[in-house]
Amino acid sequence: MISALAVSPVAEIATLLAPADQPAAVARLGLADVSLTARHGCKGPGTVAWLQGLGLPIPPQPNSWLPLDGGGRIARLGFTEFLIEGPDALIAPLVSAPRAAGVYPVLRQDAALILGGARLDELLRQTCNVNFRPLELAARPVVLTSMVGVGVTVIPELRNGQPAVRIWCDGTYGHYLWETLLGIAVELGGGAVAPHSFN
Amino acid sequence: MRLPASSGEWIDRSKPVEFSFEGRTFKGYAGDTVSSALWGADVRVLGRSFKYHRPRGVLSLANHDTNALHQWGDQPNVRADVTPLVAGMTLTAVNTFGGLADDKGRFLGKMARFLPVGFYYKAFHTRKLFPMWERMFRTMTGLGSVDLASAQHTTPKAYDFCDVLVIGAGPSGLSAALAAAAQGADVVVVDENAHAGGSATYQIGNDTSRRRLLAELLAKVAADACIRVVTATYAAGYYKDHWIPLVSADRMLKMRAGSVVVASGAFEQPAVFRNNDLPGIMLASAAQRLMYRYGVKPVSKAVVLVANADGYRAALDLLAQGVSVAAVVDLRPAAGSAEPQAKLLRQAGIEILPGSCIVEALPGADGLCAGARIATLQADGSPSAQIRDIACDGILLSVGWAPAANLLYQAGTRMRFDRAVEQFVPEALPDGVFACGRVNGVHELERRLADGTRAGSHAAASVGFGRASGAALPPEAECPSHPWPIVDHPDGKNFVDFDEDLQFKDFRNAVQEGFDNIELLKRFSTNGMGPSQGKHSNMNGLRILARLTGKEPQQVGTTTARPFYHPVPMAILAGRGFNPERRTPLASRHDALGARWMPAGAWQRPEFYQVAGKERLACIREEVAAVRKGVGLIDVGTLGKLEVIGPQAAEFLERVYTSNYANLKVGMTRYAVMCDESGVVIDDGVVARLAEDHFYFTTTTSGAATVYRELSRLNTLWRLDCGIVNHTGAFAAMNLAGPKSREVLATLTGLDLSAAAFPYLALREGEVAVSGGKIPARLMRVGFVGEWGYEIHVPASMGGALWDALMTAGKAHAIRPFGVEAQRLLRLEKGHIIIGQDTDGLTTPLEVGMGWAVKMTKPFFIGQRSLAAIAKKPHKQQLAGITFPVGYSGAVPLECNLVIDGGDIAGRVTSIAFSPSLERYIGLAFLRPDLAAIGTTVSIRLTDGAMVQAEVSATPFYDPDNLKQKEAA
Repeated sequence: MISALAVSPVAEIATLLAPADQPAAVARLGLADVSLTARHGCKGPGTVAWLQGLGLPIPPQPNSWLPLDGGGRIARLGFTEFLIEGPDALIAPLVSAPRAAGVYPVLRQDAALILGGARLDELLRQTCNVNFRPLELAARPVVLTSMVGVGVTVIPELRNGQPAVRIWCDGTYGHYLWETLLGIAVELGGGAVAPHSFN
Repeated sequence: MRLPASSGEWIDRSKPVEFSFEGRTFKGYAGDTVSSALWGADVRVLGRSFKYHRPRGVLSLANHDTNALHQWGDQPNVRADVTPLVAGMTLTAVNTFGGLADDKGRFLGKMARFLPVGFYYKAFHTRKLFPMWERMFRTMTGLGSVDLASAQHTTPKAYDFCDVLVIGAGPSGLSAALAAAAQGADVVVVDENAHAGGSATYQIGNDTSRRRLLAELLAKVAADACIRVVTATYAAGYYKDHWIPLVSADRMLKMRAGSVVVASGAFEQPAVFRNNDLPGIMLASAAQRLMYRYGVKPVSKAVVLVANADGYRAALDLLAQGVSVAAVVDLRPAAGSAEPQAKLLRQAGIEILPGSCIVEALPGADGLCAGARIATLQADGSPSAQIRDIACDGILLSVGWAPAANLLYQAGTRMRFDRAVEQFVPEALPDGVFACGRVNGVHELERRLADGTRAGSHAAASVGFGRASGAALPPEAECPSHPWPIVDHPDGKNFVDFDEDLQFKDFRNAVQEGFDNIELLKRFSTNGMGPSQGKHSNMNGLRILARLTGKEPQQVGTTTARPFYHPVPMAILAGRGFNPERRTPLASRHDALGARWMPAGAWQRPEFYQVAGKERLACIREEVAAVRKGVGLIDVGTLGKLEVIGPQAAEFLERVYTSNYANLKVGMTRYAVMCDESGVVIDDGVVARLAEDHFYFTTTTSGAATVYRELSRLNTLWRLDCGIVNHTGAFAAMNLAGPKSREVLATLTGLDLSAAAFPYLALREGEVAVSGGKIPARLMRVGFVGEWGYEIHVPASMGGALWDALMTAGKAHAIRPFGVEAQRLLRLEKGHIIIGQDTDGLTTPLEVGMGWAVKMTKPFFIGQRSLAAIAKKPHKQQLAGITFPVGYSGAVPLECNLVIDGGDIAGRVTSIAFSPSLERYIGLAFLRPDLAAIGTTVSIRLTDGAMVQAEVSATPFYDPDNLKQKEAA
């Protein structure tokens, strides 16, 4: 299995808090690595039709996302650019599907993080100049911006009633982004946690 | 001396705070500033002036007392007038020699006539002595001391957002906030003071209705959920799109506002007369601050110099707080609208002297203010000869205001000088910027409230909240500022700028020298260039220049107001310090192997791998030897990795690269050179054809982002049927190189690696076995380092597995990882250039021997037209190989050392290193074409000026026939 050989860009530095300490950290500000979630990207004028042909829903406008049956999500990053993430069973067919006209596959080897907790806004305001507070989560926004100098894609969401964000960035920045965000999270009383801590 | 406690004061008398100043211990209260605590302890000299080291006390108590700068541990230039008192503070005055009381620098005051304005421009021109003067001036002119060993103080910046930002929490600002919030806007009010209220907290005039009004205003603001009040924080500048840095003691908050209301008020301005700097002479507002905020008696017996109703109110405040008022001296012929207050003063037995001025302040034996010398003003505004001395220990000045308009200027506001109020007022405000209160030329309290309400409503409406209501107010009925609060004196010491000890005569001298423009005058005299940035000197300086040149203030204009409003500590500016850094997926492997890192743009790359007990050069040469004789492995994941896909992908590459790609066979690669429109080489790489409509190509490490951006732009412009994908970070890449590389790779892949099946420059897609399975890979037969080799690209998440597999497989052949330095030497032996090192911003491919890669017969490529023109002219330079004799043991040039011919520059060295393979120094150099013939001896000037000779030689130096890439080798 190819996916079994994959290693997260932050695998070697993502030292988690002791399990007993994770719930409290998540309540304040938890940071989790979800880089190994399967994902696929595609862009090009034929992409919308290609994805529809594969039975995927299409977010109606750029900078928005939709949930996928069976878990995962499809984010529309531009008029003709998409990020699809979810279980292997969902993503593998996309990766192996023949390339269609006007569809340009994008190998997504992102560092993917979840950041959430009561003090999330404080961290976001230290790291990013986008005002996340007024975003309507019901509209499922996708924010493409810069965070601590790194280009990121961000989806804000609520997890267990707490504000959270999913963050994707170029995997080669993953080390830096993880260390920087974790440093701030620790200052704010949080820490590194396992992804399931957010459930 | 402390006054009895009063309501509204900012100090907490239940919390005494002990501190020391100049070696003596004092006691203040929580809520005090350093200056208020010292003044309350009857300390009258808080610092020394910058130039003449004159004793100075409180001037403004409003962040402009720049002669009261103190050193607090490792913190230099603490502003005593506004810095909160902290228990245990140990403070000393800056800019003294031997302490504040016995400052040996004060002898400079006696040399004043030898130190006129601009003297440093005219003296010390002796070149030999200049270093001595420079050292002396640096010693004498520094303020606080920087402790380079002080611990880092974390000051994280943060962003914040609001609909309406109100700058200034005085009466007009608070009214603006209430009006904006009432229309539904999210409002932030920021104020540099410890508490909101602005001038309403101290300009009382012994009138209880004013206090009540402020209390009501503050209560309304506190009760409004739409208003956030941020105190002890100042708006430090104005940037585009209403981006305002808000600076507090700990951090900078970058506020993005929908609209901005500037309610920053005005700076009270000093009067100019001889000895106007003696301790005890202060702005009336400073005295009011001392009394009402800190419960400190400013002086015991005061003379109050006034030119407006504020001054009369200040005199009433003094009386109410038990200060004896010796006289009120009014520069105007009558009290005007302040007649009710004047009447109260007269009833209290206070003498009022209309149409008079202070000619001179009289120092006592202790150097403090001991009296005021008064004269009546004549019709021409000059003082009469008849003088009268009045004993006092303080003179309070209330003669006018200058708008705190710095942020308005920075926002692009057009200002005009309004004679009705004797100040600059906004004439045309930028979109989304509003002004109210004193900065808007509105001075009386009730009017400021109304002006704030108007501005707040308009600001909220401008960002979509409610409807704008209220119109601009009519002008003030009475001018709050005197047009000429300045008295000349033959003995000088009538200071205009307290920061720089500039006297009235300095301005006259500057204008006589020809510096009669406001910007020139500023730079020649240094007026407004001190730490207070002219907040108490620019207005008087402007008036003086206007009078000396016969112009109106409007014609003179103002100097440019730049951020920041107050000096901002470097730590606050720096913030947390984000330095984005990229790492390839193999970084941990490199660490484990002892990599010594070097930056390459945003990347960190292994320069070489440290072997215990060996020097850097030895390690690098061992790595080179491993590649030449066995096998080496280098991480090249930093290379840009792009794909272009679509029916017109080949056409796209034909246009952006100089060579042909339409005829490139699937499964093959080709070197690629990219030029800009002027024909200059800007990048290079390798283009690989994966399918008829699919190319994968590399760029230089540093060029990846720029090239992708430019290609995306061009693709949008050309509208070709293809798309570009940036896979730079998505693929790990490594180069397995050396005569044993094929044997190593053969153990991991089922691909046929024979020269026939996988020839030089071929591309293959296949699988490579790693621990636990197989991974998909793109493999290219490349020869950058001059040996048989494979560049292998795999998804980044599997890069580590591939590296491990190759290192394990290579053990039998003593595989060595090699770093950037070894690669640079290997490619130099092969004569391959590095873009940016062996080229510069003017280099064309024709000058670096790459004419073979430029296909001028193509219909079009970027830079083609320029290269066609360039090709018709003789080259100015030519890149050529240079060598030193085997066994050469002399000094060796450095990269960038110049080639000299006939005394002229005839080229420069771009790369040079010792080649273990050739056992001699080799290099590349730009040479004048007539020197580039093989066998020519060229002279190179070393850094120390010595000359050495090198011989122009053919490249490649190593394996010139490329036999290493052939099966027979």
